Amino acid sequence: MARYEADVVIIGGGITAAMIAEKLIELRPNLSIIVVEAGKRLFDFENRFEYRQRNLDYGENQWPGDFIADQSARGVISRSMAVGGSALHWGGVCNRFSEEDTRLKSMYGLAVDWPVEWKDLERFYCEAERRLGVSGEPSPLAEDWRSEPYPMPSMTMSYNLKQLKSWAEQSGIKFWTTPQAKNTVEGYGGRGRCRRCNTCEICPTGARYSPDWTFKQLLTGKKIQLHDQTLVRKLVLDDRTTRVASAQAVREDGADDDVQYRARTFILASGYCWSAHLLLLSANSRFPNGLANSSDHVGRYMTGHLAYQTTIDLDLRIFPGMNDQHSLISRQFFRCRPDSPYVRHDLRVWENAGGRGPQLRDADGKVLLGDVLLADWRKRTTRGTARVRGYFDAHPDRDSRLTLDAAAKNRWGDPMPVIQHRTDQATQARQAATRDHFQSLFALLAKAGDGRMGNISGLNYQDHPGGGCRMGTDPATSVVNSFGRTHDHENLFVVGSPTLPTGGCTNGTLTFVALALRSVPEMVK
Amino acid sequence: MAAVVAATPLARLRIFAQAPPITETETATLKAIAEVVLPSVVGREERDHFVAEFVAWVRNYKEGADMGHGYGASTLRSPSGPSPAPRYPSQFASLDDAAKAKGASSFATLRPDDRRAVLEAALNGPPQVTRLPSQPTGQSLVADFMGFYFTSSDAWDLAYQAQIGRDRCRTLDGSDQAPEPLTPRA
Repeated sequence: MARYEADVVIIGGGITAAMIAEKLIELRPNLSIIVVEAGKRLFDFENRFEYRQRNLDYGENQWPGDFIADQSARGVISRSMAVGGSALHWGGVCNRFSEEDTRLKSMYGLAVDWPVEWKDLERFYCEAERRLGVSGEPSPLAEDWRSEPYPMPSMTMSYNLKQLKSWAEQSGIKFWTTPQAKNTVEGYGGRGRCRRCNTCEICPTGARYSPDWTFKQLLTGKKIQLHDQTLVRKLVLDDRTTRVASAQAVREDGADDDVQYRARTFILASGYCWSAHLLLLSANSRFPNGLANSSDHVGRYMTGHLAYQTTIDLDLRIFPGMNDQHSLISRQFFRCRPDSPYVRHDLRVWENAGGRGPQLRDADGKVLLGDVLLADWRKRTTRGTARVRGYFDAHPDRDSRLTLDAAAKNRWGDPMPVIQHRTDQATQARQAATRDHFQSLFALLAKAGDGRMGNISGLNYQDHPGGGCRMGTDPATSVVNSFGRTHDHENLFVVGSPTLPTGGCTNGTLTFVALALRSVPEMVK
Repeated sequence: MAAVVAATPLARLRIFAQAPPITETETATLKAIAEVVLPSVVGREERDHFVAEFVAWVRNYKEGADMGHGYGASTLRSPSGPSPAPRYPSQFASLDDAAKAKGASSFATLRPDDRRAVLEAALNGPPQVTRLPSQPTGQSLVADFMGFYFTSSDAWDLAYQAQIGRDRCRTLDGSDQAPEPLTPRA
């Protein structure tokens, strides 16, 4: 058995792990840190233009080999398993949650309050924005106050978005551009400026923040050790205390025998699925339901948000592909008056090419070739399409769960997770009203531009999932405190998405990172 | 290299099968197809360029390639399927047969109007092709080639008569203005 010892072992190599490692080493330069990641390191930045091109031409994986075939789950879970995690693929959207998200119980009598004061969290939003390199346009709403400006000016509002903003604001709703972890100036964080390649899932220029960038910098400076292709299968307690003594792992490439990590502090940064999964796998005679699970809350309150979306055909000249991943946002609906039916959501608008493409046949089914096809196509280019989507608040039920699936095991014999999301009764009760709200809202937008609204569709899954190790002040109803320290094991932290009690109504990554950064000083106390 | 192969479990080796190349004669047929199915504003040089790109696409297709997973998706996509290339020779031959029925020696020597009729017949099937594929599938050589061109960034620029450059990496500068009009072609 290979044995390693460090001050801190971070399990997981995604965006929260990268941010925590970077901040830990700034606070305690002599700290020894090992980051253990089940997937590979894909550090061949020089090949990313080629990967992008193969993806455009053939649809091949932009991140070849960024998964482990038998490390999978049933339910909503990204298959990304590589150094960088899901944030290798992300679009870089960096919306903040709002104060309402942290005070749902106090303000609306719904779900739970978070054990974090908004003013406290706001400082860490600023820090997260600095570390990720966020370019943004401040919200004009007073409730969205911020204590620091965005680190970089906002992404240029494309001609298309300017057209769409003019249209959408005729509805009386104010829109502005969505903040993103993409460089709008050359060199921020050592990375290049966005060149609007329209392929943010793999950014070939490095303008969009990716955690592998941080890991490479930390490794270059010999600040951390990174053990990739190493799957942690179990956390083991000290015989006489409730402290975690070691993490037992195996090499995915079969290079070594079993691997053991010993550390003063263990940080579980494995995302919303694999964090709860490892705690459940680590059950022992003293904690038969899994580590950190004396409350029976590990794997419960799995959360996220739902969405409604549509397209609107408009009498606007839109040129699809100018910068199709950039969007407009309104945060007007982050607030809901207590005397109104409860619905909270963001509202995004994108350029869209839907219905504008070439067609092989005309309405009568006659084949179109050459100039005739082009003339037919050009008729569809005189108008434009907007894609409109709102993520809305959907609160988890206690039985929104991650459990172990005895029928599905990986090659090591470990049961894989199964995730079954379930919203609470209050969310279910307002389902029809929520849909009616979006129907009216989208109709209002369409009417503003004399547009034609397409069908409304809803997500059939919870996006930006979180939960499973929710934070709280009461050890009987939560897994970790507001700093991610588990109630049951003083040297075990869970960070990022698993700790969210509720999933908010907009992209979650910035919040995962802000909460994780807030935890770091506590980890080295 | 031999040592690396010996040390790597066979199950983990990914061997990409290369598709059979499109022949010179078949390339000539593709050029004759292009003259009919692409807009006339696309001149001969540009048509030949797209034919060469299509031939290269077929040549560089990898069977069994990792197709990954969508962002946030819980399932892996199946590896890429068989190359469309083996399905093309019989379709090239069918075009030549149709040309011979019209008294020509090959499809490439048919008059454009006759070529158009042959291509329309090919698209009307069976099996009938109803839409342009986003990527060649082998089901219809003609539709595959048309889809290859008409889904390209260049074709979209032509349709919009603007230099959008959807698939190119471009500076942010000037993106707040409408894209420049396409330069008139000779």
